[in-house]
Amino acid sequence: MDVAEEGSETGVEREEEEPRIGVYVCHCGLNIAGSVDVEAVSAYAAGLPGVVLSKDYRYSCSDPGQEMMKEDIQKHALNRLVVASCSPRLHEPTFRAMAEEAGMNRYLVEMANIREHCSWVHLYDKEGGTEKAKELVRMAVAKARLLEAQVEKKVPVLRKTAVIGAGVAGIQAALDLADSGYKVHLIEKDVSIGGRMAQIDKTFPTMDCSICILAPKMSEVGRHPNVEVLTCAEVKSVSGYVGNFVITIKKKARFVNKNCTACGDCSTACPVAVPNEFDLGLASRKAIYTPFAQAVPSTYAVDIVTCLNDGPVLACEKCIEACDVEDCIDFNARDETIDLEVGTIIVATGASTFDPKVLEEYGYGKYPNVLTTLEFERLINAGGPSGGHLIRPSDLEPPKNVAFIQCIGSRTEKDGNPYCSNICCMETIKDALLIKEHWPDTEIDVYYMDIRAFGKGFEDLYKRARSLGVRFIRGIPAEALHLEGDDVRLIGENTLLSEIYDEEYDMVILSVGIEPREDSEVVQRLFNLSKTADGFFMESHPKLLPVDTPTKGVFLAGCAESPKDIKDSVTQACAAASRANILMAKGEVTVEAITPMYVEDNCNGCGLCVKVCPYNAIELIGKKPNQKIKIIEAACTGCGTCGAECKFEGLIMRHFTDEQIVAQIDGALDENPEGKILAFCCNWCSYAGADFAGVSRMQYPSNVRIIKTMCSGRVSENFVRRGFEKRAGAVLVSGCHLQDCHYINANYQTKKRVEKLWKEMEKLGLDTNRLQLDWFTAAEGQKFADKIGEMKEIVEKVDPKEIDKAAETFKPKKKKRKQ
Amino acid sequence: MSEEGEPKLVNPEFTKEVIKRGADTITLCFQCATCTGGCPSGRITAFRTRKLMRRVQLGFKEDVLPSDELWLCTTCMTCDERCPRGVKITDIIMTLRNMAVEEGHMAEAHKRTAGMLIKTGHAIPMGDKFRELRKTLKLDEVPPTVLCDPKLYEDVVKIMKATEFDKLIGERIDG
Repeated sequence: MDVAEEGSETGVEREEEEPRIGVYVCHCGLNIAGSVDVEAVSAYAAGLPGVVLSKDYRYSCSDPGQEMMKEDIQKHALNRLVVASCSPRLHEPTFRAMAEEAGMNRYLVEMANIREHCSWVHLYDKEGGTEKAKELVRMAVAKARLLEAQVEKKVPVLRKTAVIGAGVAGIQAALDLADSGYKVHLIEKDVSIGGRMAQIDKTFPTMDCSICILAPKMSEVGRHPNVEVLTCAEVKSVSGYVGNFVITIKKKARFVNKNCTACGDCSTACPVAVPNEFDLGLASRKAIYTPFAQAVPSTYAVDIVTCLNDGPVLACEKCIEACDVEDCIDFNARDETIDLEVGTIIVATGASTFDPKVLEEYGYGKYPNVLTTLEFERLINAGGPSGGHLIRPSDLEPPKNVAFIQCIGSRTEKDGNPYCSNICCMETIKDALLIKEHWPDTEIDVYYMDIRAFGKGFEDLYKRARSLGVRFIRGIPAEALHLEGDDVRLIGENTLLSEIYDEEYDMVILSVGIEPREDSEVVQRLFNLSKTADGFFMESHPKLLPVDTPTKGVFLAGCAESPKDIKDSVTQACAAASRANILMAKGEVTVEAITPMYVEDNCNGCGLCVKVCPYNAIELIGKKPNQKIKIIEAACTGCGTCGAECKFEGLIMRHFTDEQIVAQIDGALDENPEGKILAFCCNWCSYAGADFAGVSRMQYPSNVRIIKTMCSGRVSENFVRRGFEKRAGAVLVSGCHLQDCHYINANYQTKKRVEKLWKEMEKLGLDTNRLQLDWFTAAEGQKFADKIGEMKEIVEKVDPKEIDKAAETFKPKKKKRKQ
Repeated sequence: MSEEGEPKLVNPEFTKEVIKRGADTITLCFQCATCTGGCPSGRITAFRTRKLMRRVQLGFKEDVLPSDELWLCTTCMTCDERCPRGVKITDIIMTLRNMAVEEGHMAEAHKRTAGMLIKTGHAIPMGDKFRELRKTLKLDEVPPTVLCDPKLYEDVVKIMKATEFDKLIGERIDG
């Protein structure tokens, strides 16, 4: 919990040592060397000012590579390091740790991203790629010369967790953490925990009874001394940062208190019947109800929207009259707002199923005997509306033949989702087996395109279904026709025979896919998450950080991250719990030393920084005219919006100083600036989006030079002016989409500043088209690539006179005060 | 069309050429067969839309361009509507027909219709039955098209010559 020592703070007592920079250009096998002449880049770097050593190396991140750098640091007395390799989002921590082991401060390492931002996106332009790599190194060296050592602060991590969503993933994560000794708040918006797994009849591939294996976990978590289960509860806001979050919960009134014995007399007496959501509307429930027998808590709840009573005004007292327990039902109950302080958060908010109504050719919602697989689960479930007897909704008769249609709303470019939903093949096979086990004479046809039985024990189950006579027919029906007696006729092509089939069924079950919940955008904003193109929450790294999110201290579990079965959900929940455990067991976490440094002498107390800070981390102190500011370090996340706003050099952003960024700009525009696009990208979204373009090998023109800031809010108007002064062909300012800023709303300041610049340019008669503002998520690699392509055209068309004019206009009028 | 069992001549250039002519969605097809299943023509003929798409993907040019079934599509676009992959099936079939005609393959019925256009300026001939029908509807016996003015027909012929429509279908226009 130590704050940086006074003397070591940047700029205060700067050590005036000559920079001795070591540059390492990585081949990354052929990943970089395949389309960039790494030797030429290394030779070029050797001639840059401040560079005393430059090498190229096959795999810089390997142990021998790191050992070599450590030795070089000692042998050549290096005091700065530039590693030109992959994205700093991947290996910056690796090289920082290595430098530290060699006795160099971790903030004296700078990376040039010549893989994701260069070799992978210019695969067929070796000349342009090599040229760009050289300049990226030059920019990094320019910044490295100005880097300063920093001391990281440590903040305590509260040993408490909030788990959002109490399906099987949330329950598992809560149990693991509670068993490890942490306090867990398990937050569920429905009246009972259990989630989707509680609705399902059996699980594949072992055919376990779903509720039989879930119910013990539900009651265990319900009575665990370390777990507080909050049902009817929704997250309203989240503030704070890793280790110290504050979550505000709205807990809706249940109107029945803990004295409830779950006898059900109230429900029997209640005159209001509405469709039961738990049974997907296949049966009804009362206004006072419990969704299913094993519900936790077992306490009944009043659905006040459908109840005849409106709060304390009683129009009907039938439930109160029927209840034997005193003061059990209380219509005076009120919604509560609860603040929870936690150190870590696990998001396990689950997913929805695809609604096949849009696929009109299958008649779902119109033909009574066309159902979804989730509805089927309720129909075959002993706890369901038919008591586990498979019957047709139209006449309550058992069907003699049943058809399943696969890939409903999955793998489609039109109505539905483009991805494979992972579970539907096995769910159908399991469902077919369930029918065969109970009613062996039922004929079952499964219409499919590909059967994906990839998991442990899956192929066995597939084989079993075939051996029991389930017919698998390759070729999806083109249409379902409604027949007299509510039978359904399916017409399509058996592709393996090239013959048309035309069959009649008593019941047709649509194997629907999984999709993100409708409210997932709300969850995304609350916890500052990103989404992949499929709409599910994005992990920090698809391979190596599969349950972390870009927000430190927030982890993912279950179908909120992607469609998965119960086993995978539980596995991921254990992983998320383990990741949260690591933070909490340690009890403290280091935060990056990227907060602003206050230069009191320059501050005139204007308070602009206070206004733009998204975290209220700056306070005004004293009275005018001697007003000054105070920075609350613990609340600051280092977005740099204050630094960009300050006109008086009163705030210096550690590790992203004006000087350093200007050095990068100048480095980018030293040669042929007219042909260049100068791009500012934020660490979380647009820089990550450019990384994504690289990983996906999306090709774009090589004339762009990217400068990374933590937030687009750091991009000061002066950086843009500097770019034009240095004759950049075009400038791109980019960040997260407006609602998705990683720093709450700092990118609104970005927008404001760019709009101001546009106005200024217009007034000065300059071409505003040369300054572009755009937003990219971390998954919008293609959008980023397209934008660069579009901007290349702007650069090619710009009149040289226009460049002269802008350069002249933006030349600083008078020399600014030097520190 | 080659017999079953006979080796197919794979021609990857054919697939590329079809894609170059705007059929880039062909690569998306994963043979689910909703196209065949919904095809009103396929229910009464041997036409299998899915198979046609597969042959194009694999480059079986000789199975596609000279085939009779290429002309069995009525361009009703049901397959386009149902295709989950967004393959522009009908457009692809039209592209294939253009390519087939360029190589001298054209269904007899289509050829006759096209020939009628050259001869009369109308795809559908104006027989006595039509004249009678028009009379009963109190319409002019001859519709206000090329039929009512020989000069208009000459213009249509000019267009057909300029676009080499006549050469395309193997019918010469005199003069």
